[in-house]
Amino acid sequence: MTVEKGTLEIKNLSKSFIVDNNPLLVLNNINIKFPACAFISIIGGSGCGKTTLLRIMLGLDTSYDGEALMDGERIVGPGSNRGIVFQDHRLLPWLTVGENVAFGLDRLNRKEKKLLVDENLKLVGLSGFESAYPSQLSGGMAQRVAIARALANKPEILLLDEPLGALDALTRIHMQKELERLWLLEKITMIMVTHDVDEAIYLSDKVVIMSSRPGVIKKIIDIPSSRSRDRASSEFMQIKAEILKEFHLGTEYPFAYAI
Amino acid sequence: MIKNLLHRFALRDKLLALIVPLLVLTLWQSVLSLHLFSDLILIPPLTLVSTFLELVGSGDLANNILASLQRVMVGFLLGGSLGFIFGVVTGLSPFMNRVLTPLIKALQQVPEFAWMPLIILLFGIDELAKVVFVSIGAFYPMLFNTYLGVSGVPKKYQELAWVFDYRRFRYLTKVIIPSALPSIITGIRLSLGLSWMFVVGAELFGADSGLGYMMTWGRQLFQIDIVMVGLIVIGAIGFAMNSLLLIIEKRLLSWRVSFDGRTL
Repeated sequence: MTVEKGTLEIKNLSKSFIVDNNPLLVLNNINIKFPACAFISIIGGSGCGKTTLLRIMLGLDTSYDGEALMDGERIVGPGSNRGIVFQDHRLLPWLTVGENVAFGLDRLNRKEKKLLVDENLKLVGLSGFESAYPSQLSGGMAQRVAIARALANKPEILLLDEPLGALDALTRIHMQKELERLWLLEKITMIMVTHDVDEAIYLSDKVVIMSSRPGVIKKIIDIPSSRSRDRASSEFMQIKAEILKEFHLGTEYPFAYAI
Repeated sequence: MIKNLLHRFALRDKLLALIVPLLVLTLWQSVLSLHLFSDLILIPPLTLVSTFLELVGSGDLANNILASLQRVMVGFLLGGSLGFIFGVVTGLSPFMNRVLTPLIKALQQVPEFAWMPLIILLFGIDELAKVVFVSIGAFYPMLFNTYLGVSGVPKKYQELAWVFDYRRFRYLTKVIIPSALPSIITGIRLSLGLSWMFVVGAELFGADSGLGYMMTWGRQLFQIDIVMVGLIVIGAIGFAMNSLLLIIEKRLLSWRVSFDGRTL
């Protein structure tokens, strides 16, 4: 059986942490398939296990029940077919921007490295910043470098752990457009954990809604509309209302009418 | 404009640093004019200058400085490298840390000079004994600062290294050491500082060259001016070594925005 490259599948996955000698269930019977080249967001409140799920997909956490399959094979650790962008950019402060992007390319020779660094810095719009240090960059720029570092390895799947969570609101909207552009350009699977409903709707083909304690998948919502979505359209608002309802934050009975 | 201002502040700092030495000199001169002490014990500043020039002229000072510096370098390299290796090992491995650290901490409680009788018995009173004495002083600050840096590598960098498949030697040289570098450099600075203090101590016990020897010799001849020139030269060289390392530190750690090379 062959599986299309860039497919990730989670089957009957459960995960517990030991807290004060008692097992605490954080993920309960998760079943989900991430098709190749899709953009999928996982959304949920804090403590719903969404970051734990992402760490399992990345391979940083390998003790769980059930199965996590990358291209049909069990994930036993990190691999170059999966890239990661963390919430904090995690650039190494003693390396320049160029050296940071080349961090995962240690096995290539100098020329190949330079080519990939240039290519990926250009991709995220930061050509000419090779020799700057991370401390000289703004939050948005640092996160672009982190994305370039992840893409330089040519992953089949890019995992994004609240990648824009630490940015201010305007930079954030701008970076969402950038992420969409990169996704359309690179044609790879992107799986993003977020707690921003607008961001999830704007970017995703599917939004996976999780609820807390224990973390379960509550609902998966398909976003049908075409790209370059209008955040103010009625369709966008409808989907937003549908998602918010799942968190009991619906606006069916606005305060003013309830009195 | 801003650069000019900064320069002016730097100049002001330097002028401020001269105030206290000048006060001491004034006090010194005024006590002298009261004739409370014999001129043989409280040396007039001008006598010190001529003694200094004499020692420079005869080449004695340069020879003794070289002899001391040589011992410091060998002892520092020996003790510092051992401290670095032990620091990396205990910092990386919690097991080795539990095995080695209790003994190291216990031995650290032994005052440096209490080692002297044992060192003399084991190594005689020649160069080797002095170098060993210096290296004991260099060992501890290097060990503890390297340990702090290596064991304090943030977990987020460890995860990053794991994701990008950095293991063993590559992980050590590309992630651990650079991350621990600020601590390691502090270790080098403290280690070299202590080496410089201990070499003079070692030379006071018995030597035929070095600044400590020069001072002992001056005391035996009742030439307090030589003793005092020795003191001032030792302080000046120690200060110069520290300043030089601060400059190197600033260069190496230029990626740290907050770093201005002014830590103690």
